[in-house]
Amino acid sequence: MSWKPEADDLAARRAFADALGGPEAIDKHHAQGRLTVRERIAGLTDAGSFQEVGKLTGKGAYVDGQLRKVVPAPYVMGLAKIDGRPVAIGGEDFTVRGGTSWGSDRRKGGQGGFVEDLAHEYRIPLVNLIDGAGGSVASATRRGYTVFPGVHGFERSVQLMAEVPVVSAVMGTAAGGPAGRAILAHWSVMVKGTSQVFAAGPPVVERSLGQKIDKEALGGAGIAVDTAGTIDNAADDEPGAFAMIRRYLSYMPRNVWELPPAVKSDDPPDRADEGLLTIVPRERRQPYNMRKLVAMIVDRDSAFEIQPTCGRAVITSLARLNGYVVGIIANNPMVNGGAMDVKAARKQAHFIQLCDTFHIPIVFLVDVPGFMVGLAAEQAATLREGMRAVYVALQATVPMLTCVIRKCYGMAGMGTTDKNGLDFKIAWPSAEWGSLPVEGGAAAAFKREIENAPDPAARLKEIEADLRKLASPLLTAEAFAVEDIIDPRETRAYLCRFVEAMQGRLATTLGPKLRAGVPP
Amino acid sequence: MATKEVKSEITGAVWKIVKQPGDLLGEEDAIMILESMKMEIPVLAECTGKLLELKVKENEPVAEGQVLAVVEV
Repeated sequence: MSWKPEADDLAARRAFADALGGPEAIDKHHAQGRLTVRERIAGLTDAGSFQEVGKLTGKGAYVDGQLRKVVPAPYVMGLAKIDGRPVAIGGEDFTVRGGTSWGSDRRKGGQGGFVEDLAHEYRIPLVNLIDGAGGSVASATRRGYTVFPGVHGFERSVQLMAEVPVVSAVMGTAAGGPAGRAILAHWSVMVKGTSQVFAAGPPVVERSLGQKIDKEALGGAGIAVDTAGTIDNAADDEPGAFAMIRRYLSYMPRNVWELPPAVKSDDPPDRADEGLLTIVPRERRQPYNMRKLVAMIVDRDSAFEIQPTCGRAVITSLARLNGYVVGIIANNPMVNGGAMDVKAARKQAHFIQLCDTFHIPIVFLVDVPGFMVGLAAEQAATLREGMRAVYVALQATVPMLTCVIRKCYGMAGMGTTDKNGLDFKIAWPSAEWGSLPVEGGAAAAFKREIENAPDPAARLKEIEADLRKLASPLLTAEAFAVEDIIDPRETRAYLCRFVEAMQGRLATTLGPKLRAGVPP
Repeated sequence: MATKEVKSEITGAVWKIVKQPGDLLGEEDAIMILESMKMEIPVLAECTGKLLELKVKENEPVAEGQVLAVVEV
């Protein structure tokens, strides 16, 4: 007597799970331009690599003890591979009860679910495919009581942030707990037009504030990515989001106890791009394209920009130098002249902690005139957020390399150096630095002398000219107060040598980063 | 025929108008130059087209997101 009847029963039950919420619900979901959770997992992970866990979970309907139907639990998860490397992956199934939480004995996903435990115990990255609105007030009628916030809490999600890469992809409309989990990630992506994320959706907003606003205007990519930076990157469609997730994870180690994966680079480390000699205009008021500059230095096509549309005064990219993963932080002179505003500071601070946590050395390409000034900047707490970015940089222990391209001034400039480490700074001939730029600075420092001069305007110009003579970076190099001035074309080769040399140090300081103290 | 608004990505002031209504624009042509944080920031055409209208004058302060020009694309 074999176990064939039971095996057939299992196959039937799995077929119910594969059918999700049924053809009608799937058609409706597709009509909104969205893939089902199973299509998403298949589209993102290596072919045939998904080992589902908990496929039998659901509500069975029985007639005379015979199974007639199973409504599957609205969460699909398990183990899979992305580019040959294991990940824990899961997502809500919107076609079953809108992906709302499920009263199973053990949670599959969501806060404290099995998929989070899997990532924690096996120290593998976690990918959250988010498409749900979380709890529903209707659950109280099922339970007979209301649940206290945090009964299924974020404690595991928080723990994971110090252990393994966590990626969240907002694939539908996310509010409540799923929206919270979207934020509790090292990197997040959403899809333009078909995904939205907010603390609460339009009905709650209208009830609370009387504001009538549709979900796209409230929490589409235009708000959540471009304006607020709530979510890091936006993709044009779901396959585009999958490609970005694969790309992001390619720079990440499996966990904080390992180094990020180095690859063999076919881009020569001593490649000297002639364009570097002309990219910075001699006229110091004219900006230039920092993204092009970054692309000329790092391994060809290796830069992946995080938050490209928010906090644009600074560019933060994961990239490679001679195959080794690095984090690039480059000021963008096209926005605020590169001055650090609140959004740029927030982005830079997050990126530094990301790199520090996963042992990714940081390369600063510096052109920063200081913190953003003016009433709007003060109202937005630029000083506080800016100092937080400086604090985070000074607390980080991952090696940093500083290359000053043009301006390096003030507190924002100070935050671009490895003061706890080698404090290694190189600069281009176009570099200039100080506590603040000569313009503006001279008028304040020599106020009385200028006012008492017969021709104050002429005296100011004389003072500024004298100060500029002292501003040559070569004078600072003579004093070894900057370690080197280099031909811009040498930048890649110089950085590649030092990134290679620091690998031994990186390999012997692995593990979680403990950060004491209170950031401002 | 579609029109497209060119918006300021920064807060600053109009330093110099480069193109006038009726001028043809190539991709990445500077329409005007703004001054912000002592830097001259060009406002570039995103694609080829024709400048229909300027919404600002030289020396006028501009806010982030403000419409600076309208382009026929």
